[in-house]
Amino acid sequence: MKIRAPIAWKLSSVFLFILVLVLAGTGALGHLIHEYHLLQVVLFAIAVVALTVAMVWFLTNRLLDRPVRQLAEGMRKLGEGDIGFRFPTDRTDDFGHLARAFNQMADKLESSLTEVRETRDYFEGIVESSADVIVTVNPRGYVYTFNRGAEQLLGYERWEVIGRHVEKIFADQGERKTAMELLKDTDNVPNYETHLLTSSGEVREVMLTLTRLRDPDGEPIGTFGIGKDVTEANAMQRRLLHSERFAAIGQALAGLQHALKNMLNAMQGGAYMVKLGLRKDDRPLLEEGWAMVAVAIGNLTAMTTHMLSYVREWKPVLEDVDLAEMIREIEGFFRQTMEDKGVSLSVSIEDGVPSVRCDRRLLHSAVMDIISNAVDACMEKDYPGGETPAIAIRVHSPDAGNSIAVAVKDNGCGMSPEVRANVFAPFFSTKSRLGTGLGLALTSRTIRLHGGEIEVESELNMGSEFRIIVPAGGPVPSKEKPDGQESAGRG
Amino acid sequence: MAKKVLVVDDDPNLVRFLSVALEENGYIPIGAFDGKEGWAKAEAENPDLFFLDVMMPKRTGFTLFKQIRKDERFRNTPVIMLTGVTASLAQQDSASDDTLEQPYGALRESLRKIITEMKEEGVVKPDLFIEKPVDPEDVVEKVRELLGE
Repeated sequence: MKIRAPIAWKLSSVFLFILVLVLAGTGALGHLIHEYHLLQVVLFAIAVVALTVAMVWFLTNRLLDRPVRQLAEGMRKLGEGDIGFRFPTDRTDDFGHLARAFNQMADKLESSLTEVRETRDYFEGIVESSADVIVTVNPRGYVYTFNRGAEQLLGYERWEVIGRHVEKIFADQGERKTAMELLKDTDNVPNYETHLLTSSGEVREVMLTLTRLRDPDGEPIGTFGIGKDVTEANAMQRRLLHSERFAAIGQALAGLQHALKNMLNAMQGGAYMVKLGLRKDDRPLLEEGWAMVAVAIGNLTAMTTHMLSYVREWKPVLEDVDLAEMIREIEGFFRQTMEDKGVSLSVSIEDGVPSVRCDRRLLHSAVMDIISNAVDACMEKDYPGGETPAIAIRVHSPDAGNSIAVAVKDNGCGMSPEVRANVFAPFFSTKSRLGTGLGLALTSRTIRLHGGEIEVESELNMGSEFRIIVPAGGPVPSKEKPDGQESAGRG
Repeated sequence: MAKKVLVVDDDPNLVRFLSVALEENGYIPIGAFDGKEGWAKAEAENPDLFFLDVMMPKRTGFTLFKQIRKDERFRNTPVIMLTGVTASLAQQDSASDDTLEQPYGALRESLRKIITEMKEEGVVKPDLFIEKPVDPEDVVEKVRELLGE
C-alpha cells in the first residue's frame, strides 16, 4: 500500500495535468465548454480522470508494484530463516535479472549457513558429549552454557543452571574468587583444584582449567571452564599414600624384629653358657657367656640410640668443613682395619675442592657408614682367583665448585635389585650379626637434610658404588621433605 | 662313637653357644662361618648332622643345602635350617602376603622359588626349620630326635 498509492496518484496527476495542458493549448477546452453544457464537460472530465487512474493503477501494479512486493516478501522470508525460498526465473525483464541475482545470493547464503551450522553442530557435539564438565559464563558471572558432562557430574538439568550465577555450583566461594583473581592476571588458570557442589549437596573435587574468552577487539566476553572430576582419583591416591605409609611401618617393624632376634639370639645363647658355667663351676665359660650377653645389651643400646636419632627432629650445626681433610682423616681411621682384612684402599681427592657448609659430625658419620658398608660388602664376597677386595674413594666437584661429591666404590658382593630397592629403608638389613638396619637410613636422611642426594649403583657379585652429593653452600631451608618412610619413622 | 655336628652360620655367637651345648651333650661340634667354609668342612669332617643358616655370605644356606643333598655321602644326613624371619614361610608351601614382612618379600619369594625348585628336582626338604632366637637346650633335644637317640 505504501508503494502503490503515491506512485499511482502521482502518475495519474501528471497524466491529467498533461491532458488539461494539451486541451487548453489547442483551444479545445474552450471549444468543448462552448459546445456542451458545463455539466456534461464536468462529467466527461470525471470519467477521464477515473479511467486514467484505473489505467495507471493497472500499469503500476502490473509492471512495478507486484514484482517489488514479491522481492520484499522474498527478502522477508529469507530474513526469517526460510533459507530454501527462491524466485521463479521465467521473467526476462529487469525483475527477472533481479530475481536471478536474488536466487544466487540466497544459494551462497544457504551454503555458508549450512557450513556454519555443521561446524557449530560438530563443536557442540564435542562439548556436549564430553564427559568433562564444560561451562561458559558471561562477564557478570551468569552461566551461559552447561554441557551434559556438567549435568551428569553435578546432578542439575541445564535449565536449572543456565542464567543463574555460577556461584551456585561452587562449594567454596573463596576458591571461586581466588580463581577469578588469578584469571584477571593471566587469562588462563590451568589445573585449578576446586570443590563443586552437586544438586544433592555433595562436594566433588574437580580439576578446573579456566580461560577468559575475548572478542576480536580484546574485550572480555566471558569465561570458559573445563573441569575433570578427580574425587575418586584423589581418594585412591590418599589410600595409596596411606598404604605406602603402612608398608613403610611394616618394613620398619620387620627390620626391627630381625635386628632384635639377632640380639636376643646372642642373649639366649649367652645366658645358656652362663647357666652351664655356674652348674659346672666353669668360670671361663661363665665369663664368655656373660660377655656374649653384655655385647648384645650394648648392641641393643646402640640400636635404641640410633632409633632415637632417627625419629628425632634434627637441627644440624652448620660450619664450613674441609671435606678433603675429613676424608683423609677417615682414610687414616680405616687403613689399618682394611689392611688386616686384605682390602686395598685408594683415595683420590680433586685439587681445590671447596669446603662444604654442613654439620661436621653428621656428615662424618654418613661417610664412615658408607665406607664401612663397602668393607662389609667385600667381606661377604667369595672372590674368584685373580680378584682381590678393593675400595676406591673419590672426592670431586661435579659442577665447578657448586657441590661436592664423595663416591665410594667397592668390588664386593653387590646387591640384588630387591635389596637395592630397600637399602635406605629403616631397619632393613641383610647382615645377620652387625646390622641394626638403620645405618643407611640415617645416612640418607643426613644427606637430604643437607640438601644433597645419595645415589647407589649396584650389581650382584660385582660391587656397589654409593655417591653422596652435597651443595657446597649448605642446605636450603625446608629442603627435607617428609616422604612415606620419613613420616613413618617419625610417626 | 660320638657323632659330629656341623654348624654353619655367619653369626659367631650362634656357632659358639651351639657348639658348647652340643659338646655338653656328647657331640663333636664343628663350626663354619660361611657357605664356602661350610662345604669344605663337610667334605673334610663327614658330619652326621648339619645346621645351616639361611642367610649368609658366600653361598646361601639353601645353595649349600642343595649341594649337600646332591652328594652321595650326605643324601640321608639330617639338615636343620636356621632362619631369621622366614621359618613360618619356609615350612608352609604357600604363605599369605603379610604386610609386616614386606622388606623380606623378595627374600620370601626367592625362598618359595628355591623350595619349588627343590621339589621339582626331587630334592628332599630339610628335616627341620628352627627360627631364631635359638634355645640351645631345645635344639639339642631336636638333634637327639633326628639322630634317633
